[in-house]
Amino acid sequence: MQPVVIRVIVGLVAGVGLAAIAAAETSNVLVLYSNGRLIPGNVEGDRGLHQAVRAPADRPVTLFYEFLDAPRFGGPAFDQIVASYLRGKYASRPPRVIVAVREEALGFLLRHRLELFARAPVVHVGIDRLSLRSISPLPADVIGVPVRYDFAPTIDLALRWHPRARRLVIVTGAAEPDRAFEAQLRTEVSSVRDRATAEFLAGLPTREVLRRLGELGDDAVVFTPGTFQDGEGRDLTPYESVRAMAAASRAPVYGFFSSQIGSGIVGGYMPSFEAIGRQAGQVVSDLLAGADPRSLRLPEAVPQALNVDWRQIRRWGIDEGAIPRDVVVHFKAPTLLEAYRHEAIAAAGVLALQAGLIGWLLVEHRRRRLAESAEHTRRLELAHASRLAVAGELTGSIAHEINQPLGAILSNADAADLILEAGGDRRDELRGILADIRRDDLRASEVIRRLRTLLAKHEVERKPFDLNDAVREIESVLGAEARRRHSTLDVRPAPAPVAVVGDRIEIQQVLINVVLNALDSMADRPEEQRTVVVSVENVSAGADVAVRDRGHGIAPEHLPRLFDPFFTTKRDGMGLGLSIARTVIEAHGGRVWAENGSDEGAVFHVELPAARADGTSSPPPA
Amino acid sequence: MSETPLVHVVDDDESLRNSLLRLLRAAGFEACGYGSTGEFLLNPLPDRLGCVLLDLRLPGPSGLELQAALHRQGVALPVIFLTGHGDVASSVQAMQAGAADFLTKPVTRDTLFGALQSALTRDARERAARVEADELRRRVDSLTPRERGVFDAVACGKLNKQIADELGMAERTVKLHRAHVMAKLEVGSPAELGRLAERLRLLSDP
Repeated sequence: MQPVVIRVIVGLVAGVGLAAIAAAETSNVLVLYSNGRLIPGNVEGDRGLHQAVRAPADRPVTLFYEFLDAPRFGGPAFDQIVASYLRGKYASRPPRVIVAVREEALGFLLRHRLELFARAPVVHVGIDRLSLRSISPLPADVIGVPVRYDFAPTIDLALRWHPRARRLVIVTGAAEPDRAFEAQLRTEVSSVRDRATAEFLAGLPTREVLRRLGELGDDAVVFTPGTFQDGEGRDLTPYESVRAMAAASRAPVYGFFSSQIGSGIVGGYMPSFEAIGRQAGQVVSDLLAGADPRSLRLPEAVPQALNVDWRQIRRWGIDEGAIPRDVVVHFKAPTLLEAYRHEAIAAAGVLALQAGLIGWLLVEHRRRRLAESAEHTRRLELAHASRLAVAGELTGSIAHEINQPLGAILSNADAADLILEAGGDRRDELRGILADIRRDDLRASEVIRRLRTLLAKHEVERKPFDLNDAVREIESVLGAEARRRHSTLDVRPAPAPVAVVGDRIEIQQVLINVVLNALDSMADRPEEQRTVVVSVENVSAGADVAVRDRGHGIAPEHLPRLFDPFFTTKRDGMGLGLSIARTVIEAHGGRVWAENGSDEGAVFHVELPAARADGTSSPPPA
Repeated sequence: MSETPLVHVVDDDESLRNSLLRLLRAAGFEACGYGSTGEFLLNPLPDRLGCVLLDLRLPGPSGLELQAALHRQGVALPVIFLTGHGDVASSVQAMQAGAADFLTKPVTRDTLFGALQSALTRDARERAARVEADELRRRVDSLTPRERGVFDAVACGKLNKQIADELGMAERTVKLHRAHVMAKLEVGSPAELGRLAERLRLLSDP
């Protein structure tokens, strides 16, 4: 029987030992907060603590949190309940380090730690230097870095930022910590007594406080640490109270706690709760690593930093030049550069690259446009020169065409003169003469107009027109010239209108050039053979104008160079007509080519894309 | 020269042709218009004092070609060329072919009428000469071969005796033929006969 009992006992001992080992292997840290869990200061402090607690490699750390919920709960009875609760709760997971946040938690631990967790060192957090002094001396294993809540720098700053302020309105609450703040403020405000008067709204009902704040002018500045309890005994969080005050106040409100930034206060010199938490976390880490609390060297206090709410800075028109450089700015929408520095640099690089590329392309584009424009001008000038050459060639027929009506006019006038000299009533005859004179005058000016249109420089336009009409007009211009050369010009329009888009006159000039060439080519042929046929046809690609002559044709070796600039087979030719013709036709999306006729002469083709229904031309034929 | 001159206007430009016709008629000429060389040639040409106003450049055969054709047909009408744009080559060609004048359109009334006047004067003179020559020829043609022989010899200034020896006839017979010749040729003296012979030689030998 005994061995069995021993085995059971051994087993039990072993089991308990395993549990103890398991518990001992995890370092437990108990964090005891004085007040509620969701107080912003607690949340911020916890974040810093969490960041700073480093677990030794072999022992993970577990943090446990307890909240005393002061000032709503308190007193010896509550102390007893909490103490027995903690004793029972942490019996199996004894904390190796205890963190006491603010005065109430430290006070509780100083009263009960020996009965609860006698061996665990205590790290106090967020306790004001002055109140710490009132608690001291502390046991050697109760350590921590005190916080400095100096209100004077904030008051001094506010007076500098608001030079017109003469009234310092200080709001404090009715609870125990509220009165501690009030006492401290009354002490510290004395330092600026010569610059402003201090008015305390201490322990007033919230409604009364807000009403008073709403009546302030621009000669006032409000200071408040926030209130835990108002004059009517209502419990508040300092944050809520400050937010209500900032909303009601017509004067800027300054605070002393970083947790209140965002509630509407302008800011102030304040320790950062996160920094406080971080400081405590470092101490905890050192203790967990086995450091002796007595030998730890700790800073005198967590430093204060100026924190501001940028929106309030703007709201109250505070001179940005008066803001110290080491300020911690909140709620300033970070500029693009601040928020995304690397991205911004990369983007700027890309932009610069793009801008450079675009700039380069623009320069290129401009250069090309200039070149194109120069090319265009040159083409226009060449075309004009070629037109003048054509005009020179046509001088004979032009003179004839103009001299005919001029001769008729002169003879008619002379006849009228003679009729008048002869006397007698021959009015009808005279009227007939005048009518003829008028008609011939118009005829002469029509010849000039037509030639001017064809030979003058003009702006290129793109309009739909009937190729048949254009070709018929050429007949009227060149008919006289053809007769002068004892040649026949046979124009055969297509049976139906042939719509093309482009510059009608440019096209006509090209055709005139080609027809004159055709006439030239037959100069030494017998007269009855000198015939040029100009025919218009609809083809699949659009419209084709064929100019057929009965000359000697084109030498095969000349065919490929026919449209090259300065290539000519004429003794006094410039070699520009056909090269300009090709430029013009290609600019119209068409093409021009020459071939020899099946039995004699040459055929020049001018092919133009057909006009589409929308008045533009279809793409050039491939 | 009581006859009204007839001016032929050949020009394909109807308006110009009509204005010329109008002007010529107003100036008291008779005028007739043709649109082409062919039209002119197809119309019967009356034997009248006149001239041709001819456009150098015409559809079909040109003015120069018409001039040549008229010359070949023995039509002696003077030709005045009218041209819108006279080039040196064609004007030289026209003048060499006997054109009366070469005018450039537009032509003033004075220039035109001046040219017409001289052309018509020339035509009248030529016509008169042709009439005279024809009459003389008719008279000469009425001579018998013997009489013709005597006339030719007399025209050369030979004496009756020489003529009788040359032609192998009696001197009296020569005198008789000579009297017949003078009667047929309507001359009153041997001197007149000599002048007639001279004139005949000039006319038939221009």
